[in-house]
Amino acid sequence: MRLEYLGWRVFYSFLAFAISITFTFILIHAMPGDYLHVILPSLADKNPLATELFEEQFGFDKPLVDQYVLYVINVFQGNWGYSIQYGQPVTAVIISKLCWTMIILLPATLLSILIGVAIGSYSGWSSGSLADSFIFKIMIFLGAVPSYWWAIILILVLGFYLGLFPLGGYMSVRALNEGLSYYDVLYHAVLPIVALTLAMVPGVYYLMRTSMLQTVGQDYILTARCKGLGELKILQHHALKNAMLPMVTMMAIELAHTIMGSVFVETIFSWPGMGYLTYEALRVRDIPLLQGIFLMDTLIIILANMATDFSYPFIDPRAEVGKIG
Amino acid sequence: MARDGTLVAALLMLAIYILIAVFSPYLAPYAPSDLAGRPLEGPGNSHLLGTNDLGQDIFSSLLYGTRATLFLGFLGGLISVLTSLLFGMVSAYYGGLTDEMVTRIVDIMMTIPGFPLLIVLVVFLPQSLFIIGGVMGLIGGAQGIRVIRSQVLSLVEAEFIYGVKAMGASDHYVMAKHILPGVFPLAIMMFVNAAQRYMLMGVGLGFLGLGDPSVIDWGQMISRAYSNGGFALGLWWWLIPPGLAVVLLSLALALLGYSLETEAEPRLKMRKMIH
Repeated sequence: MRLEYLGWRVFYSFLAFAISITFTFILIHAMPGDYLHVILPSLADKNPLATELFEEQFGFDKPLVDQYVLYVINVFQGNWGYSIQYGQPVTAVIISKLCWTMIILLPATLLSILIGVAIGSYSGWSSGSLADSFIFKIMIFLGAVPSYWWAIILILVLGFYLGLFPLGGYMSVRALNEGLSYYDVLYHAVLPIVALTLAMVPGVYYLMRTSMLQTVGQDYILTARCKGLGELKILQHHALKNAMLPMVTMMAIELAHTIMGSVFVETIFSWPGMGYLTYEALRVRDIPLLQGIFLMDTLIIILANMATDFSYPFIDPRAEVGKIG
Repeated sequence: MARDGTLVAALLMLAIYILIAVFSPYLAPYAPSDLAGRPLEGPGNSHLLGTNDLGQDIFSSLLYGTRATLFLGFLGGLISVLTSLLFGMVSAYYGGLTDEMVTRIVDIMMTIPGFPLLIVLVVFLPQSLFIIGGVMGLIGGAQGIRVIRSQVLSLVEAEFIYGVKAMGASDHYVMAKHILPGVFPLAIMMFVNAAQRYMLMGVGLGFLGLGDPSVIDWGQMISRAYSNGGFALGLWWWLIPPGLAVVLLSLALALLGYSLETEAEPRLKMRKMIH
């Protein structure tokens, strides 16, 4: 049962990726003007061999079916084409930007999970109380606010009016002389991290609260109470650990989705990550780059899904895979 | 009573937005494309919220922008709910191979990230409000199929459905008269939630330069302010109003969704248990 289920999941993931590849292939070919022919002339000027190389790699002279096969092979070999804007291989551009995204995304995810779990478990534990309904209502408000609004407000208030933080970017002008310092980068990262965290907390909160609500009703909580354990001990040792389980599933997938979702925050803060790259690619209609970003996102999300699928039975041995989620 | 207050407040806010959208030509002091004043004027008597870099009246653009955002949200929400309803109902009602196929396709669709897919499709297709709303609705609708399906599955097994069928009612009749009313409250809530999401997303797309260029929308306003020094010069009257407008609208819909949810508590509990 377990193996069969996991097998199916892998199969679906593979299918989904195959569909994505087909989709990007159609996209690139349906776009007016073959993008490689845009780059090719300037390259051929400098290096006549490039023409031959491109012909061989992308097979312009072959029928469409052969081109498709070549494209699929190229994708799996890591040749995702060349960015028009950067004039570099798409994969190289994306990977260099992914690191920058991680600088703000990882702390934001950790923070939002810490805050969301703390408030969510408290809210679920004391469900029905005045505090719970108060927090719940605040979270409805927070959840309705888009990430770009946080970004705008944070920049205007803390950046422009109070002058506490930079208006955007990832380093000061000073860095041109003194070189990039970690402190400087972190200083620029603070506001994007806060904006992302604010946007992510409500989701974590809802999940944690629901999960805690279900846990509170379990028999083993009753047992713990009957043993005479203090409320805090029950919360710490019995309720929290079990209620945290769905969070594990959520974490990887949330992280994967936010890599793309940070497009607004990164753009408004001019943070040079994947989101800003997407914005730039859209601005100049850099289709190969856009294709690469889309493929990378699909890949990341598929991998995150599979990782949680495979790791869940180890985290929660009770779960018969296929029956959860 | 408090619950009713929320509902009324949310509906009132929504009504104000709809009225503004409908009557924006009469409410706006200038046509939004008019070069009505000097560029980058601050808020004043002649221009309530100042002017943008072209000298267009920001307040008028703000009023006109209500239309695009509301339209996108409602169109996207409608299409998404209709998609979920159609496939969810058919899949659960007929079961067997149909069900198998629909669930498999949904499984695969769920693996492809929605937002990137949306962006790529919108770049690729002609940029019009109808198409953007349609694509958003279709992508989002695929995710709602499961929810509708599980709700219908529990209905299909109900005794009264067997009874109606035994009396010779056709499948179409059963679905329209007995299944649809059963999932209708759920569909309404899905609609409200979806509309809220798509309004935020529509403004986001406008910000990314993916909106319909022939209409004014709040996202494009923010984008213009952003790329023309709105932050560096601290032009709050250009950046804040469109953002605040969409945030308040989103809040109204969130509150509406929340109060509907509490109204329909029994049904919802059922849904949560199944899901």
